[in-house]
Amino acid sequence: MRVLKITAMAALLVMAASVAFAGPTYDRVMSTKVIKAGLSNQGIPFGFINDKNEWVGFDVDMATEIAKRLGCKLEKVVVNNNTRISFVQTNPPKVDMVLSNMTHKRVRDEKIDFSITYFFDGQKFLAKKGAVKDAKDLANLKVGSMQGTTSIVNATAYLKELGNANPQVTGYDGEVAMFEALRSGRVQAITTDSTILLGYAAKVPGQFELVGDFISDEPYGIGLPQDDSAWRDTINFTIQDIWKDGTYLKIYDKWFGANSQYPFPLTSKIEMWP
Amino acid sequence: MFKRYFEKIWVQNLALLALTGLVVYYFAFIFEFKYDFDWAVFVVEGQYGHMGHLMLNGINTTLTITLYSAAIALAMGTIFGLARLSSFKPVYWFATCYVELFRNTPLLIQLFFWNFALPYAFPEEIRFKLFDMNFEFWCATVGCGIFTGAFMAEIIRAGIQSIPKGLLEAAYSSGLTFPQTLRKVILPLAFREIIPPLGSEFLNNMKNTSLAMTIGVSELCWSMTEVYSLTYRTFEAFSVATLVYLALSLSIAGILYIVNERLKIMPRDRITPLRRVADILFWPLDFLGRKLEYVFWYFRKSPDQRTVSPFKQFLNRLGKDLTKALKFLFVAAIAYILYMVVMALFHFNWEIIGANFKTLLIWRFPEGDETEFCFGLGGLASSLLMAAISIAGSFLIGLAVGMGRTSKNRVFRIPCLLYIELIRGVPLILVILWFYQAILEFVFKVDVQAFWAATIAMTFFFGAYIAETVRGGIENIPAGQVEAAKASGLTYLQTMRKIILPQALKQMLPALVGMFIAAFKDTSLAYIIGVMELTRAAYAINNRIMIYPFEIYTTVAVLYFVFSYFMSLYAKRLERKLSPETIRIEM
Repeated sequence: MRVLKITAMAALLVMAASVAFAGPTYDRVMSTKVIKAGLSNQGIPFGFINDKNEWVGFDVDMATEIAKRLGCKLEKVVVNNNTRISFVQTNPPKVDMVLSNMTHKRVRDEKIDFSITYFFDGQKFLAKKGAVKDAKDLANLKVGSMQGTTSIVNATAYLKELGNANPQVTGYDGEVAMFEALRSGRVQAITTDSTILLGYAAKVPGQFELVGDFISDEPYGIGLPQDDSAWRDTINFTIQDIWKDGTYLKIYDKWFGANSQYPFPLTSKIEMWP
Repeated sequence: MFKRYFEKIWVQNLALLALTGLVVYYFAFIFEFKYDFDWAVFVVEGQYGHMGHLMLNGINTTLTITLYSAAIALAMGTIFGLARLSSFKPVYWFATCYVELFRNTPLLIQLFFWNFALPYAFPEEIRFKLFDMNFEFWCATVGCGIFTGAFMAEIIRAGIQSIPKGLLEAAYSSGLTFPQTLRKVILPLAFREIIPPLGSEFLNNMKNTSLAMTIGVSELCWSMTEVYSLTYRTFEAFSVATLVYLALSLSIAGILYIVNERLKIMPRDRITPLRRVADILFWPLDFLGRKLEYVFWYFRKSPDQRTVSPFKQFLNRLGKDLTKALKFLFVAAIAYILYMVVMALFHFNWEIIGANFKTLLIWRFPEGDETEFCFGLGGLASSLLMAAISIAGSFLIGLAVGMGRTSKNRVFRIPCLLYIELIRGVPLILVILWFYQAILEFVFKVDVQAFWAATIAMTFFFGAYIAETVRGGIENIPAGQVEAAKASGLTYLQTMRKIILPQALKQMLPALVGMFIAAFKDTSLAYIIGVMELTRAAYAINNRIMIYPFEIYTTVAVLYFVFSYFMSLYAKRLERKLSPETIRIEM
């Protein structure tokens, strides 16, 4: 009898909890005034830990700015390449938005929603200076990339296109392991979005260079829970506001401007709605 | 009345069935999953390739690593287990260092060390040659092998040492030579002691290969992560991986069970059917053994040979000199290694270690955000905290489940058994991922910080292990005490509370301390979901500095070692203090 009672109590508790947590993201954020943002903490310069053990980066600044404009407190949650989508996909979502250098792709958009593009990047290769003269040289190199990203899929397809039927692409666990593989020489080139590559190449100045052309377009969007248009609108409007009054450029220059550690000229404009 | 009915088997079966029905009914009809299952991802070719093939490749790699590393571990275990018994002190010290060092640091840190730091110890040409040979794969395989080998060495040493001296004396006095004693007395007895714990080490080794994913080896766990990050099918990917690991564990356990059955001593007229199966399976080995016996018989030394021929004497002399030379060489090699270690320590960038030491200990506490776990507490402090909380929690689970496991009533026994076997068949890394990304989220609908998710997962994981310890403790209590308690009118719970548990818990204390060490080392796995514990803190520091992996990973390994080693010394002391034979009764 007691077992039954306890089971029934547990079941009731679980159901009560599920009721308490339900509700669209917009309403919840506006009532609790806390935004939970999924951010990477090992991707220089988008989200990483600096020498004061502070969590900084372009994505972190963007998230902070968004939260500030919505009058909310920001709660940072660590995501990685494997979890960044599933965290907004769950119901209720584990985080309210994900800024983790995430490319807006149609397949991904079937599972979660995306904001307008807030950063423009493309995939490239990074290799030792002078090791790769021509893009064709890449075909037979050992290449490293990151597990759980589309970079690894793109790279395999690209090497196949260049004429290598059986390309050697290893998927490492995160940016650090990937760059370490290149630095120690276990792969001859690594590939992912060019800004990330720049961030790591700046660690050992003058040794590595970007090679070849962009092999894909990587427009970054903020990952948002599916089917919550009030929330998506809020985020989109906020991004446009950030762009309109010049704050975006300030943040951009801080991380990618000519005087920054990882110079990367701004090529496009954020989509503005009149 | 009710109680009497509950003792009937059919009532128990019915109750079990009803419970299962309730659970199924709840999850099928009442519970809102809010998740659509789509098992087709494994058979349909998607935009990013065929996920089924990816998983199969992963299984293949896992099996390969498991087999190779098990062979390496067995070899290392035998060599170092014997070396631990050597009377030549340098060999003994070396083996002891190996065993203590590798048993008291987490496998994850060892793998990171081999993978990130070790290559820099070699000159460039050798390094590139190494990298040409599938470096990550061999790194993981050899790493797992060496780690498990350290545990096996202890088991083998203990097994050989467990043979009573009297037996050896008896063997010698009845005229057996040393090789004969080894073959006929020492090895058969030692094997019977060794095989069960050795088997569970093989099982652990299989589960540990899942850590290879963290250095980029595309084994089962790696494939699983790849599948869910490309198709966003968390539940499906996790379930398949879990089932595969369970199947692997069950097959290893099955093999061990048969081996055990073969080794049991049973009278000829009471042979079980399983023993017959085992006999048939082991027939080729038995056959080989009998033939070898024949060969040995013909090559035996004739007992009446009293004089030694000059040639034989020369050979003897050569053998002795060779051993002496080898011993000298060994000492020289050890001295050289020590010199290298000292030089390496001398060339360490101590400034880097000093600058980051506080970070490794407490991360950014107390300057962290208020949204962070405990104001940014991390590093060693949070590893210890996590281990302490999860062991305390799993002790409660273990107590209840362990009691349920020993219960005669099926309604309690079978669910407990399922829980124990299910959890013990799956790698911890998978349990953590399950809790963090699936169970807490979908089933319990709670949203907790990564630290708590990992702690809860570890609590459930170690609960199963502690339950087994508790069961062992309870079963060790003589049955007469239970009968006496029953006769004097105590109820089951009273018997447990007043008689069995106080004695069992005292016996279990050293095992519990051992479990705490294991939990402390395993907190390193919380790294995978981004908890800022010691390993993740080291990773973050390495991410920032990049060029001193050697210094950082050595420091972390030392930190883990110091705590685990002193805890294990404490456990040993506790064991000595608690064992009734050595205790001195004072009046």
